[in-house]
Amino acid sequence: MADNNPSREDDQLDEEEELDDTGYKSVKDAILFAIEVSDSMLARRASSDPKKSVEESPTTAALKCAYHLMQQRIISNPQDMMGILLYGTQASKFYDEDENSRGDLSYPHCYLFTDLDIPSAQEVKELRALAEDDETDLREVLTPSKEPVSMSNVLFCANQIFTSKAPNFLSRRLFIVTDNDNPHADSKSLRSAATVRAKDLYDLGVTIELFPISNPDHDFDSSKFYDDIIYKASPTDPEAPSYLKLDSKDTTATADGISLLSTLLSSINSRSVPRRAYITNVPLELGPNFKISVSGYLLFKRQEPSRNCFVWLGGEKPQIVSGVTTQIADDTARTIEKWEIKKAYKFGGDQVSFSPEELKDLRNFGDPVIRIIGFKPMSALPFWANVKHPFFIYPSEEDVIGSTRVFSALHQTLLRDKKLALVWFIPRRNGAPILGAMVAGEEKLDEDGVQRFPPGMWIIPLPFADDVRQNPETSLNVAPEPLIDQMRMIVQQLQLPKASYEPLKYPNPSLQWHYRILQALALDEDLPEQPEDKTKPKYRQIDKRAGDYVLSWAEELEKQDAKTAPSGPKSTLVKRGVKDRVADAEDASGKPAKRVKAEHGPEALDDEVNFHYQKGSVSKLTVATLKEFLTSHGRSAAGKKADLVERVEEYFERK
Amino acid sequence: MADKEATVYIVDVGRSTGEKRNGRSVTDLDWAMQYVWERVTATVSTGRKTAMLGVIGLRTDETSNDLESDPHFSHISVLSSIKQFLMPDIRQLGEAIKPSQTDKGDAISAIILAVQMINLHCKKLKYKRKIVLVTNGQGRMSNEGMEGITQKIKEDNIELVVLGADFDDPEFGVKEEDKDSRKSENEELLRNLVEECDGAYGTLEQAVSELDTPRVKVVKSMASFKGHLQLGNPEQYDTAVRIPVERYYRTYVAKPPSASSYVLRSDLAGGEGTAESSATVAPKGDQPGDGNTLTSVRNLRTYQVTDETAPGGKSDVERDDLAKGYEYGRTAVHIDESDENITTLETFAGLELLGFIQSDHYERYMHMSNSNIIIGQRGNDKSALALSSFIHALFELDCYAVARLVMKENKPPVIVLLAPSIEADYECLLEVQLPFAEDIRTYRFPPLDKVITVSGKVVTQHRNLPTDDLLDAMDKYVNSMELVDRDEDGDIIEGLPIEDSFSPVLHRIMAAIRARAIHPSGPIPPPSERLMKFSHPPQSLIEKSQSHLEKLADVADVKKVPPKVKGRKRTRETEKPLSGLDVDALLHQEKRAKISPSNAIPEFKQTLSLAEDIESIKGAAKQMAAIIEDQIKNSLGDANYDRCVEELGVMRDELISYEEPASYNEFVTHLKNKLLKEELGGDRREVWWLIRKSKLGLIHQRESDQSKVTEADANEFMSAK
Repeated sequence: MADNNPSREDDQLDEEEELDDTGYKSVKDAILFAIEVSDSMLARRASSDPKKSVEESPTTAALKCAYHLMQQRIISNPQDMMGILLYGTQASKFYDEDENSRGDLSYPHCYLFTDLDIPSAQEVKELRALAEDDETDLREVLTPSKEPVSMSNVLFCANQIFTSKAPNFLSRRLFIVTDNDNPHADSKSLRSAATVRAKDLYDLGVTIELFPISNPDHDFDSSKFYDDIIYKASPTDPEAPSYLKLDSKDTTATADGISLLSTLLSSINSRSVPRRAYITNVPLELGPNFKISVSGYLLFKRQEPSRNCFVWLGGEKPQIVSGVTTQIADDTARTIEKWEIKKAYKFGGDQVSFSPEELKDLRNFGDPVIRIIGFKPMSALPFWANVKHPFFIYPSEEDVIGSTRVFSALHQTLLRDKKLALVWFIPRRNGAPILGAMVAGEEKLDEDGVQRFPPGMWIIPLPFADDVRQNPETSLNVAPEPLIDQMRMIVQQLQLPKASYEPLKYPNPSLQWHYRILQALALDEDLPEQPEDKTKPKYRQIDKRAGDYVLSWAEELEKQDAKTAPSGPKSTLVKRGVKDRVADAEDASGKPAKRVKAEHGPEALDDEVNFHYQKGSVSKLTVATLKEFLTSHGRSAAGKKADLVERVEEYFERK
Repeated sequence: MADKEATVYIVDVGRSTGEKRNGRSVTDLDWAMQYVWERVTATVSTGRKTAMLGVIGLRTDETSNDLESDPHFSHISVLSSIKQFLMPDIRQLGEAIKPSQTDKGDAISAIILAVQMINLHCKKLKYKRKIVLVTNGQGRMSNEGMEGITQKIKEDNIELVVLGADFDDPEFGVKEEDKDSRKSENEELLRNLVEECDGAYGTLEQAVSELDTPRVKVVKSMASFKGHLQLGNPEQYDTAVRIPVERYYRTYVAKPPSASSYVLRSDLAGGEGTAESSATVAPKGDQPGDGNTLTSVRNLRTYQVTDETAPGGKSDVERDDLAKGYEYGRTAVHIDESDENITTLETFAGLELLGFIQSDHYERYMHMSNSNIIIGQRGNDKSALALSSFIHALFELDCYAVARLVMKENKPPVIVLLAPSIEADYECLLEVQLPFAEDIRTYRFPPLDKVITVSGKVVTQHRNLPTDDLLDAMDKYVNSMELVDRDEDGDIIEGLPIEDSFSPVLHRIMAAIRARAIHPSGPIPPPSERLMKFSHPPQSLIEKSQSHLEKLADVADVKKVPPKVKGRKRTRETEKPLSGLDVDALLHQEKRAKISPSNAIPEFKQTLSLAEDIESIKGAAKQMAAIIEDQIKNSLGDANYDRCVEELGVMRDELISYEEPASYNEFVTHLKNKLLKEELGGDRREVWWLIRKSKLGLIHQRESDQSKVTEADANEFMSAK
């Protein structure tokens, strides 16, 4: 039986997978939001933009951010956990306890709204209602308590949630959103208690990230309380810079509602993923016996939609199925033990086998290293010499003290002299060696001075001779100057903003649509009709800005083509049929695709097909014509004639 | 499709080929076979049915060929007729090739025989015909009827290759001193023959030395996209441009062959012992198929769902009760078969321009994928002309184009960058994929040319920043290590040595497969020198830059952290909050007497850091041990396991830091016993499995000087079930 379950557990480990040497920890991230609920946190702030009359309170802004992050993490980090803890609330809730339980409450005025876990659809829905629906009953919980909440209690509550729900996670982070910079101004003992609980969290390996909110009449001053709570270094990533944690201080200082939301959002977004090294403390060998240590990160990695899986419909709710694989011998179907398995290659109609150790040895090219082979000018790196995403590397002092200054010297030298280093790069033990170009990247900041691209080196894996394909033969038809001049005008009209590519402006439309639909299905909502696709060209603008130039270019093209045509094609290729050639030339002309109807004839493919569509006789067209029409409109041309006819009709119906 | 091939190898196995000459460590025959085996296995590894070969033995003891009645053809044996070579043929050939007891047999006759074999096999069909003669040039060769032979070879369009051991080749620089006159004559004869036939004549040394250069498989590219480069929307505006284009790979990573899983055939599989031999077992007889002692492995899948009522928390479900779906968070979303494509974004094929950017505003490291080329539709001169104007306009303006590419209807769109490429005889667009918003991870790193303190002050002199001396030394070193590559003619290569670098994994595995096919019991060979060419800087560069490197190392003054210190508590500085408040002092006041199970990890760490004597450390470890055992004992199913693993991990790390490995080792030994004896609330073997997986076994001497456990003992402890 063909097993078409795509989520196989026995998948061979992808080399890309971020398997770092993390020892006993599981490489997962848990974020617990602790959002304060108080009168000032609930005070609505008007928007300074008169067009947007939305009023936003810091608490609802924080909840909206949390909701946004939750949705985003379902896509980007499907294995990671998230939870929402409200504090300062009149109501209290901690697992089985609430105000109605007997006995004392463990954590009064702490309300665990969303338990720390991989979010469920229901939780997403509730969080959205709380954040966005002013009318919901859920808003009841956003009633501030009359007595102050103890911060040590809040911190210990978070501690207990992390301890029991996210044990052994590599990364656990507490995001505190508050406008109260001095919760226990009048009680030294409460302050001390909070400090001790903060140390507990540090020792547990929980990083506290503060998202302070300033009030219109009062700037948040972290030195009053939070500087005793937050630690200089992250407990799990001692190399992580501490100063960066403070940049939100200024950005959230604004008072108006919309900008509050957007700055909070961007500041939370920038921390949505914990920093995870792809490789840690690998030697960067500048020369024989001279090494420093660096860590590597994947700052670019294609985000793919999750693969589909099997669900079991036999129960009350659909349930995810886990598959268990047993291996059996093909001849007798007996179950095989792992030690029996040999690996073999097909060769000459037979198998050539190797022991697992030999197979491992074949992939062993030495210990992990980044070894500089020599330097070359940057211009030696051709545009096409690329096979995959780059690796980012940054110095680490953990193995070799002084690495940072040497790395910095190399970085500055390469930047200044526009040079690259050719490196032999073995990312991990038994990993395939990469020949790479190591180039220095400058730090890039956005308008607000927030880092967009970090300073460091990038290793660009180069193709080996085996990976380079030969260009297919084709005819050379160099455009004459006048035609180039016309095209140049078009290009100049259509520069992207700042004449550069800004990836953050282009969310992946198919990925977003995939999860948008899943969310609607999971929450039992109506399906959205139109996807938002920011990768579609701005047609109106193109027409407006470049339309006239396009027409004169097309005219010139006709002229030039007429000039060259009589001399015969220079192509070395087999000539195509007359009909095809004419149709193609029509296509290439840039002339209106919708042209006057009277012209229909064999040369005007669109018109011909349209003509038959109007008459309801599409099926009379030949398969070749249908295929050509479909292909030229980006439609699939696979299948039988009936399918093609159907697709052509569909095309016109949609117009 | 590649052409059909028919190649006949003529291998000289005369008695004299059993000798070692000119100080070589191998016999002439073994030397020649290095070449022949490489070529034969290269052909076999293509797996092509139409790549056929035959082998003739020259100066064999026996005579076995179609013309054997003619005495001119004595001592020549057809070892293999022309056919697709398979493993059994390789084995058979391996046994047949050995030095004979005679020096009789005429090389020229063997060539005639080979021509005849090819003639019979290929008839008038389209074939690439080739004869390869490998000899040591000894023995008698007849020069009769050479013209006829030459004419026939040329007529049939056969490529004749003659390789000889110690044949003089001034171009390659081989000249055999004191060559005997007969060999000299033979060389002369063969050389003339080859030249007449426009073939290739060379010395064996060159052929063998070139074997080290891996052969790159040429793959003919198919267009991955045929459609239109579009500017604007032709369905809405009459100012839209549509240029028919085709897209081909420019780079595509060649993957090494993948191994499949096999087991010894069940009728042969005995106990564990018989499975040890790693090589293909040689056939015991010559019955067909006997060489195949392996049978393939199949995966059998069963499916389970979480079921709290079932023993073990899981119950099996039938494949037929399953439907397709996705995970949304931890919720399963079921999708009906009829809605299969519901989550697919509707798209239409096309390459649509979004706009243009300045090439110097682009960071080269944004390239996300392999590269492709875009050319005008082949055979359509007008589209080539139109595209050419686009390519030149980009080039003249120093621009790249950003476009949205959908390769087929309903395939996900990707954003690509298009760059102009103009060469004397070729014009195209180069294309790579760019990242989407979701593909970018915003990890932040501090600047490298300044240090910003916690208080926000900018510092330009710091231990993490290079001094002017260091910058200067680096500058000199980088200059002295400038790579200058030269091609075969000694001209400087401007670009990177891409054409000269070969995929190490790919070629090493291929070489190992071939080596094993010929010598089933031999060890796997090390990677060839050629593959490792770029694993180190060239020797000349190392020598040239040595003084600069010494200076650099001297100024840089880096210090390696000894491995044992690495895990140890480093500066207490980082353990303080931003304010620098001494929290330890507060903890001291609080005096947490006992470690509480609910806050075990922080309190354990704090107890250790406040401990004043070894006894308190041991005491803390004991408390921790009791807590962990208790949590295992009271765990509902596996509920507490992860927590216990974390606590064990912290305990292990801390006790290494505090140089008290014995406490941990003692505990983990007890724990293992209790787990395996089911003394902690029943079957808790999973905990032991987790401990093994998380490498939380005994602390050995390499991890801590104080440990009395050797690494071997630690491994032994872990391996026991």
